[in-house]
Amino acid sequence: MNMRLACLLMVLGSVLPGVSRAEPYLAVQKGLKCGSCHTAPSGGGKRTAYGDAFAQVELPARTLSMGDMWTGDLGKYLAVGGDLRGGWGRVEVPGQPRSSSTELEEFLAYAELRAVPRYLSLYVDARLRPDKPYFREQYARLKLPNGQWSIRIGKFFLPFGWRLQDDTAFIRQVGGINYNTPDNGAELEFERGRWTAQLAVTRGTAGGPETDSGKQYSLRVAQVRPSWQIGTSLNLNDARVGDRKMLNIFGGLKTGPVAWLAEVDYIRDESFALAPRRSRTSLVEGNYGYRKGHNLKLTFEWYDPDSQVSEDEQIRTSAVWEYTPFQFVQARIGLRKFDGIPQNPAQNREEAFAQIHLTF
Amino acid sequence: MSANVSETSAAVPIKPGSGFWIFLIAVLAGGCSAGNGEGLDISGRPLEEGSQLALAPTLASIQSNVFDPYCAVCHSGANAPLGLRLDAASSFTNLVSVRSREASSLFRVAPGNPDQSYLIRKLEGTASTGEQMPLGGPPIPQSTIDYVRQWITDGAQPAATAPNNSAPIIVSLSLSPDSVIGSLPSEISVGFDKDLDASTINEQTFTLLRSGGDGVFGDGNDVAVMAVSVGLSPGNPRLAFMDLTGAPAVADLYRLTLAGSGVNMILDLEGRALDGDFSGNFPTGDGVEGGNFVISFEVMGLQATLDAIQASIFSVSCATAGCHSGPPGTTLPTGMDLTSADASFSSLVNVASIEVPQLDRVKPGDADSSYLVQKLDGTSAIGQRMPRGGPYLDQESMDAIRLWINNGAER
Repeated sequence: MNMRLACLLMVLGSVLPGVSRAEPYLAVQKGLKCGSCHTAPSGGGKRTAYGDAFAQVELPARTLSMGDMWTGDLGKYLAVGGDLRGGWGRVEVPGQPRSSSTELEEFLAYAELRAVPRYLSLYVDARLRPDKPYFREQYARLKLPNGQWSIRIGKFFLPFGWRLQDDTAFIRQVGGINYNTPDNGAELEFERGRWTAQLAVTRGTAGGPETDSGKQYSLRVAQVRPSWQIGTSLNLNDARVGDRKMLNIFGGLKTGPVAWLAEVDYIRDESFALAPRRSRTSLVEGNYGYRKGHNLKLTFEWYDPDSQVSEDEQIRTSAVWEYTPFQFVQARIGLRKFDGIPQNPAQNREEAFAQIHLTF
Repeated sequence: MSANVSETSAAVPIKPGSGFWIFLIAVLAGGCSAGNGEGLDISGRPLEEGSQLALAPTLASIQSNVFDPYCAVCHSGANAPLGLRLDAASSFTNLVSVRSREASSLFRVAPGNPDQSYLIRKLEGTASTGEQMPLGGPPIPQSTIDYVRQWITDGAQPAATAPNNSAPIIVSLSLSPDSVIGSLPSEISVGFDKDLDASTINEQTFTLLRSGGDGVFGDGNDVAVMAVSVGLSPGNPRLAFMDLTGAPAVADLYRLTLAGSGVNMILDLEGRALDGDFSGNFPTGDGVEGGNFVISFEVMGLQATLDAIQASIFSVSCATAGCHSGPPGTTLPTGMDLTSADASFSSLVNVASIEVPQLDRVKPGDADSSYLVQKLDGTSAIGQRMPRGGPYLDQESMDAIRLWINNGAER
């Protein structure tokens, strides 16, 4: 690492409460908060200057010299960023022909307009490709002078558990809080020392129009330590079709070169016709950083769609190798196996994929 | 930012610790296992709930074989994406004749017209926005989607059937009540829950009036809009059509009445009159036989704007599946993407025609030199007149397109 980059990291690290990248395991590995690397305190989306520096120095196997480091800042009032993901995937469903495809998965662009630098900003997260562009997030954020409290108003991703990049993980898909379901409302954020907390009050329609007077309340609280993190999330959607309550506990642990993530979710949904349905999901993920720039990610997920029904559980097991040869570029190769009830072939599929992720 | 490539940091190996082996053991041991599915249907629900049905072009079967096993994992409960719940109690009311949030010019399910149903485009991966459904999962086999297509073609009937001794009710309509639309549709389709007596489906029981320009009905200046024909679908005695092809699209307030009372009434095969009382949500009915179904809607007249042209022309006549349905590219016809106003603008304005590269598809300010106009009015040097096979656009539609181009073809 050259001295200039090292100094920048040290300076930024000393003034920021913590750091992570697109994957929460990095926050656990470094003992830092999600909001250190991302504009949003619960992670995801545009990276901060520290996040960009981390992605250029800490993450890759080697750092190519490019002169000035990319920080995302285009002057005092504007910062930008982006992610581009694409690759090849193959799916094998029992009893069906094997299918494969090569595609551009998504091109995301972020912009932060700092109307009053450090205090008031306007933020957009746009999905430009594939298909028709649309805004995933668009909000105004006001940070109070004491630096501990912020409030944002607009459309944003809700705080709940680990914000994994993979929206099809059971804990993301079943809970229904993921990158496909931003909601409109307001969020109060608190950052102090080891603590981070967010409380959001939103429409509760997962991006749809307001349909009733009930709101969705989302609370996420976590404590961040150098070698472990633990938190809990609550979510109540007071909806005309039936209330939905969710509770989870999530945590992370660093044991040598392995950063572990775990989350257990409980969901009670009263919108079903016969009786309230209670679902449970869980995730255990190990990230083995066996060499700088390399990460072996093994994930085990479990999903019980209805705790009152026996033998309906599903399992999802993944093995992914992530290689970041140099800054801004990451390759991912993985295998994923689903196990579920034999009646449903899709619950017993196997997937293989190779992806390229460009980030700036 | 340019890169002056040189290696500045050598790879630094990190020794594996005991945590790695603990992790491997934990994962490989697999403390939890998948269910064996005993006593469950394809959706993982107990067989005694009675929801497992053979594949058939009915909503009950589609619910059992498509929505429950593939969609309801996400599209259920209060957190369903975009509020689109697809559990058995909600799928009909959230789909049939409900406008898509992603492509507002289309219904999620347009009764009688699968190509114009956004649900089909999302399942087949031809939608203009977002990913193919099911999200993150393997696509549903086309042979299964074909049953969904057939259900829509048959009028998108609901799953629940009313008791046999009850009066017929209306379950779907191709128009949104109280909506404001750009131009008069060429056809209005109405879905019922029972087989109807074809002799009672006619111009006396299906009437369409416009207010005469004053927004008030019954004051002596109402104008009857004459349909080319009114009748039942040949293959579906529960789906009726009112053919308005060629009817002048006068900007006005319109009122559609389906008779459940009076001398001429809509009757089912048992001779029961339509229970058409409408409270704002489908299906109709107050449980008492009889009662007219009355809704109104407003026709703005076709405006010379891209949004209006998109909603009234491109989405309806051009962006059908397999035609100008995207994704954008150089392959015709799909590559000329006309599925949304944004896509149409990108595909048309100042874009050279592939057939006649000397001409732009739309040349702002010059309709006569725009290849789009030549293709639509049948004067192009190459290829067929559009829409392929007709019916071709009426004069009002052509005038609106010409005016939009001559005004600068703005987005």
